[in-house]
Amino acid sequence: MFRAYTGLVKKEFLQVLRDKNMLRIIFAVPIIQLMVLGYAVTTDVKDIDLDVYDFNQSQYSRELVDAAGAGEYFTVTHDLQPTSQHPVYDLHTRFQAGASEMALIIPENFSRDLTSNENTTIGLVADGSNASSAATALGYMSQIVRQYAMDKTGVKLPIEIRRRVLYNPEGESVYFMVPGIVATLLTMITIMLTSMAIVREKEMGTLEQLLVTPITGSSLLAGKLSAFAVLGIFEMSFALAVGVLWFGIPFVGSPLLLFGLSAVYLIATLGIGLFFSTITSTQQQAMFFAWFFSIFAILTSGFLTPISNMPDWIQYLTYINPMRYFVSIVRGIMMRGAGIPELIGDIYPMLIFGVAIFTIAALRFQKRVS
Amino acid sequence: MSFLEAHHVSKSYGDVRALERFSVTIEKGEIVALLGPDGAGKTSFMRILCDLIDADADAEMSLKIDGVDVRKDFAKVKPLVGYMPQTFSLYPDLSIEENMTFYAGIYGFTGAAYRQKRDQMYAFSNLGPFAKRRAGALSGGMKQKLALSCALLHDPKLLILDEPTTGVDPLSRRQFWEMLLELRASGVTILVATPYMDEVERTDRAVCIFGGRKLTEASPKELARQFEGRIYYLPQSPSRELIERLDAIDGLEARRFGSGVHLYTDERTEITVFDGSLRNAGVDPAQIEPIEPSVEDRFIQLMEQETVQ
Repeated sequence: MFRAYTGLVKKEFLQVLRDKNMLRIIFAVPIIQLMVLGYAVTTDVKDIDLDVYDFNQSQYSRELVDAAGAGEYFTVTHDLQPTSQHPVYDLHTRFQAGASEMALIIPENFSRDLTSNENTTIGLVADGSNASSAATALGYMSQIVRQYAMDKTGVKLPIEIRRRVLYNPEGESVYFMVPGIVATLLTMITIMLTSMAIVREKEMGTLEQLLVTPITGSSLLAGKLSAFAVLGIFEMSFALAVGVLWFGIPFVGSPLLLFGLSAVYLIATLGIGLFFSTITSTQQQAMFFAWFFSIFAILTSGFLTPISNMPDWIQYLTYINPMRYFVSIVRGIMMRGAGIPELIGDIYPMLIFGVAIFTIAALRFQKRVS
Repeated sequence: MSFLEAHHVSKSYGDVRALERFSVTIEKGEIVALLGPDGAGKTSFMRILCDLIDADADAEMSLKIDGVDVRKDFAKVKPLVGYMPQTFSLYPDLSIEENMTFYAGIYGFTGAAYRQKRDQMYAFSNLGPFAKRRAGALSGGMKQKLALSCALLHDPKLLILDEPTTGVDPLSRRQFWEMLLELRASGVTILVATPYMDEVERTDRAVCIFGGRKLTEASPKELARQFEGRIYYLPQSPSRELIERLDAIDGLEARRFGSGVHLYTDERTEITVFDGSLRNAGVDPAQIEPIEPSVEDRFIQLMEQETVQ
């Protein structure tokens, strides 16, 4: 039986490597994902176009504007002189055209109030169509203004806050992205390949021919799944290599542990792929199911947006999303150097879900062609 | 004990009865043809034989290959059986050699034992020069030869072939059958479903199946001899109005056959009885020749009788 197994594994590899489309998916997709998500999709807020409406035109207001534009967060693009035109209209036009995302409005009596120790107000208007960056930008600006106020008035807050960000002090979003990408690749590749390859045998009729041979259902499954598991791990390693070597992301924990737990995760994804192959009859259908499920899994895995921000009912749903646990595991190992004791809360559910879905799928598969 | 015993095998797909208490026995070393039109139940029967689908439950049903109950223990007989389904079911993206290596591996052949078998198959099928070609790029005839080679790798004692030569060019068909006859000579039992009459005539026995039921079974010669009536051949161009004129003659039936006409009378009537009517119809009786009924004639007759019922 071992010969049958190795023959099967070899055949699967041959078939995948000969399929030009498959090859493109296996090699091009991870590179594109890494490049796009690593570079383009950044939650960092930088170079925000800031319009300044300075009705004060004093040394104080100039200092404030300089402070705002000093760092890398804001680019002062439109230093407006007060005109007879009402400033609010201009604001709308600029926002709508996408020419700027924030406006800083300094009132006429700004310097007078400051020097006479009276309270004064500054206007900050943000383009909320991108809610997350608007909130962050407002946060940055508020800090800049507060710092300026403390410098000018010499008033210190009674509580000094010292902030430290562990594990990702720069707040580099690519550190945050790559573990998620690694998990995504492993998930999508294994589910898609598994479901499509098995259904293809059904479609082409080659499955029937195999059923007449002495090969057992378990050998058949083992052979196919081994091949896809290897491919999935290869993809993951490839993505990790790019992440660490190209993007320079840290890898604090144990690679051995990561690969070991990936093998556990594979039980779940291979099981899901196998399950889809038992409920579809064409490769197109299989691909559709795989795709649809992957998108759902990715969006609710905590990869891009935190699960705790999601509505309660979705949060409950994520408990049966194995990818949620795996993303947490990958991040834990890569960024915090977590070990088994720390990750056990994620390992158990992932293992249980994986074994459950795999068993169901395998039982369905063992039924004969009928 | 016969090599293959099928008794009262039935199969329905919803309302359609594909097989109706079909029974057949095959002895070791025979070539048996399963003869029937599309939808007669041949493929269903073969798939039930190979344990790919379940027959309808029937207390009287039994299905045994070499004494082993197929429904309970097909795994035991798998090494004995070689199956070739109707549609090409090997891997088109693998080469001839890769397909054969794969199937040999499944049956446990590797290394020297495999190579010996493989070379034997190549000699047998003349596929050797094309070993590296992708199976998907082969011609119809070569595909079938490859499928047969893969089915033979493990030296099966029973070959089940479902229309193996349909869509294959005549030369390849002949070569294929030469392979089959060689196999029979070495003791392999073969069950082959075929719509080709010339192939049926090369078998030991023909089992006629129609509408899921067995009509009859006999050796091809015997089958032809069972034809009820006489057949004559008229080498005249079979225009429609000639056929109609001849058909109109009482006791005579006419059908076009190739570039001439077949005339049918019943058993006791000599064609000479119709001489007068024939001349009236513009036919020279001297041109008419008696011919031997063929398996095809008998089979069509059987189908027509069955349909009338």
